[in-house]
Amino acid sequence: MNGSPADAPPLLAVRGLVKDYPGVKALRGVDFDVRPGEVHCLLGPNGAGKSTLIKCVSGVVEPSGGEILVAGEPLPPGDPAASLQRGIATIYQELDLVEDLNVAQNVFLGHEPRRGTFLDLARMRADSRALLARLGHEAIDPRTPVRALRPAAQQIVSIARALSHQARVLIMDEPSAILDSGEIETLFEVVRRLTDEGVGVVYISHRLDEIKRIGNRVTVLADGATAANGIAATTPTDELVRLMVGRRVEQLYPQRPPGGSEVLLEVREIQGLPFVRGVSLEVRAGEIVGIGGLVGSGRSELLRLICGIDQRERGEVVVAGRRLAPNRPDLAIAAGLGLAPEDRKSQGLLLDWDLTKNVSLADLGRFSHGLLNVRRERAAVRDQLRVLGTVPDDPDRLARELSGGNQQKVVLARWLLRECRVLLLDEPTRGVDIATKAEIYRIVTDLARAGLGVLLVSSEFEELSGICTRILVMREGEVVAEMPGAEATQRELLAHAVVPTAGPDLIEEIA
Amino acid sequence: MSAAVGTLRGRVGALQFQEYALGLVVIALFVAGAILKPDTFPTWDNVRNMLTQASIVGVLAVGMTFVIATAGIDLSVGSMVAAAGVFGGVLVDPGGGTLLFIAGAIGFAVLLGTINATSIVVGRVVPFIATLAMLSVARGLALLLNDKLPVGLLDLNGGSYGDPAAFSLLWFGTGKILGIPVSVWIFLGIVVGGWILLNRTRYGRHVVAVGGNREAARIAGVPVRRIVFSVYVLSGLMAGVATVLLCARLGSASPVSGNLYELDAIGAVVIGGTSLAGGRATMVGTFLGVLTFALIFSLMTQLDLSTEIQQVTKGAIVLGAVLLQRPEAKF
Repeated sequence: MNGSPADAPPLLAVRGLVKDYPGVKALRGVDFDVRPGEVHCLLGPNGAGKSTLIKCVSGVVEPSGGEILVAGEPLPPGDPAASLQRGIATIYQELDLVEDLNVAQNVFLGHEPRRGTFLDLARMRADSRALLARLGHEAIDPRTPVRALRPAAQQIVSIARALSHQARVLIMDEPSAILDSGEIETLFEVVRRLTDEGVGVVYISHRLDEIKRIGNRVTVLADGATAANGIAATTPTDELVRLMVGRRVEQLYPQRPPGGSEVLLEVREIQGLPFVRGVSLEVRAGEIVGIGGLVGSGRSELLRLICGIDQRERGEVVVAGRRLAPNRPDLAIAAGLGLAPEDRKSQGLLLDWDLTKNVSLADLGRFSHGLLNVRRERAAVRDQLRVLGTVPDDPDRLARELSGGNQQKVVLARWLLRECRVLLLDEPTRGVDIATKAEIYRIVTDLARAGLGVLLVSSEFEELSGICTRILVMREGEVVAEMPGAEATQRELLAHAVVPTAGPDLIEEIA
Repeated sequence: MSAAVGTLRGRVGALQFQEYALGLVVIALFVAGAILKPDTFPTWDNVRNMLTQASIVGVLAVGMTFVIATAGIDLSVGSMVAAAGVFGGVLVDPGGGTLLFIAGAIGFAVLLGTINATSIVVGRVVPFIATLAMLSVARGLALLLNDKLPVGLLDLNGGSYGDPAAFSLLWFGTGKILGIPVSVWIFLGIVVGGWILLNRTRYGRHVVAVGGNREAARIAGVPVRRIVFSVYVLSGLMAGVATVLLCARLGSASPVSGNLYELDAIGAVVIGGTSLAGGRATMVGTFLGVLTFALIFSLMTQLDLSTEIQQVTKGAIVLGAVLLQRPEAKF
């Protein structure tokens, strides 16, 4: 990276920011600043206060104390419009685009250019086109419905929308989480263009390798306080991890399970167009089978087909000798399958329910003889949460209040309580900090050693080669390669995963 | 974005808070009535009357709680009450017995509820439209079945209204056990049964899960379609029971009865704190909601306020309750 313009006055300065929730101090005096033209990375384990900090700055949440200065002027607290007006734009992890509207409509949503009473559609399109060109993506047509775009292209649209508000500080919350390696390059290119124009970028990511590649400075939050303020992005990874978790993570990947002989899950020629085109695979007791591939290669859809959530067109699924009826997730679960879906919040959990009900939902029969024994239910859930080291392990807490990593443990607890035999995990460590990641790897590995079969979908090749017994690579709905986990290299995995004809810039071939 | 917002209220249990608050409202209304009309309001007769009146809509509200818990709605309950009553009446017109009437009325209401369920689950029609259509269909049937005329049911009680024998039809409307009307006992029994079903059975948990997050429920193995189907059948069943209570009290089945009962039932459920967006349901709240409505309208009647004013008030209260339910307002 080019050196950061150290002497420039900060675009955004946060001083001693405090945010109290009843019973929780989310922020206890955080300092943070962003200079023009820099990429300032924000690091910290889940629950460290990154999201709260962002929400205070973007006006979604009103801080309890401290000050936020934008270009030297105090920011009115708790006023999202004021933040936006002063050029602070946020791109959330869950992109907040309206999928049914087209690109131009999304870019100018809420501040559409008008001529008299009527929308000035021509100007909207022209301006959108100009903004996209500024980002180097003139290939995205402003008239395309957002639904038809890949996640990476949708992200570009979100950034264009931020620019349409004359953003001077752009906050990106885990922008790379939904992207594959090629798309991340594209994102970095866009970020570099923005910083060249003098925009300050706040970049949040759990992938430490990205920080060195894109960042100028790093601020580390731990437990609601600033553990390191604006240190150089070249700080060694070990040191960053130590700052985040207060200790060294001894070993990220436990020893991989060797795998057994009993076949627990057998999938034959399963198909659900257009995402999955005839996939066969086996998962044995005691092994972790990884599925790698790019976003859109049909990995998540494959897991959903196996569980009977999406319509299976043909093919067979056999679990521990039982053949599953298509389109019946309840029967799949009865046979011993359990899915931890990609999107914990929208598919895995009932966020407004307490942990007890979330964990027991798949296995209420255990506590029910006509009537539910709610005391036994709660006790069993508490035990299961403790086994997994969930924080907090109070079964009365709402799922909404837990960090991403702990929410993932709640989903795992559900399937462990159910005593499932084959666990299907879809991006189990997405958005999870490194310490919790190590814990999840340990849990999954222990489960496999205890005789479960695990099918693991991941976009992180390093993770796949770190813990899997075997790895399958999917491309365009088919399994195109298989290799033992111990021998797989990232390079090899990637070579199988990318479409031979297309270049690395996948955004160009949208829609 | 609302993650942090939810924290504030969530822990203590927004539900219990709302239930306590509504309990206070019920007490306050009673006290207000006692002050404004000290001679007529706080009397055993009046309380008994209020409860008897409330029991019919109350039974509907219990069924409606399950429907709304799945993020659905059943607009057809009022019309179903009329249709089921006339159907039962025609069935027993010359020479049938109480049992036949009850079986006929409840069976017909369950049939209509099953039609709702089928169009919603199999036909994938949104509940609002499916039950709005049924609202019209059932009302039409009620008018068609006996040529727009009410059916007298006094024959089931030897032609007179007074002093019904136990388990005769009119006994369900005017009889008493331990000084409390039979219809009130039935209402209370259904509330208790509804509470158990909602809070202490796998079925109830599944119902709320479907309303809270359909996709997550499906992935956790909840038979979503079966659950959604069942709540509309249950709502039909409750409409059947309400029909019996209404006809038993009036001694006749009228094709124009049950008008706007859907509003009363939905209003009671919403005032009680069950979320129209699904995922949050309270039977205690529904019970208190029914009592709140009953007290307000008894009081208004005693204060000689016209039914027109009462209707305006009712709508305003329901709107107010929904406004209070908005997530932002919780904060």
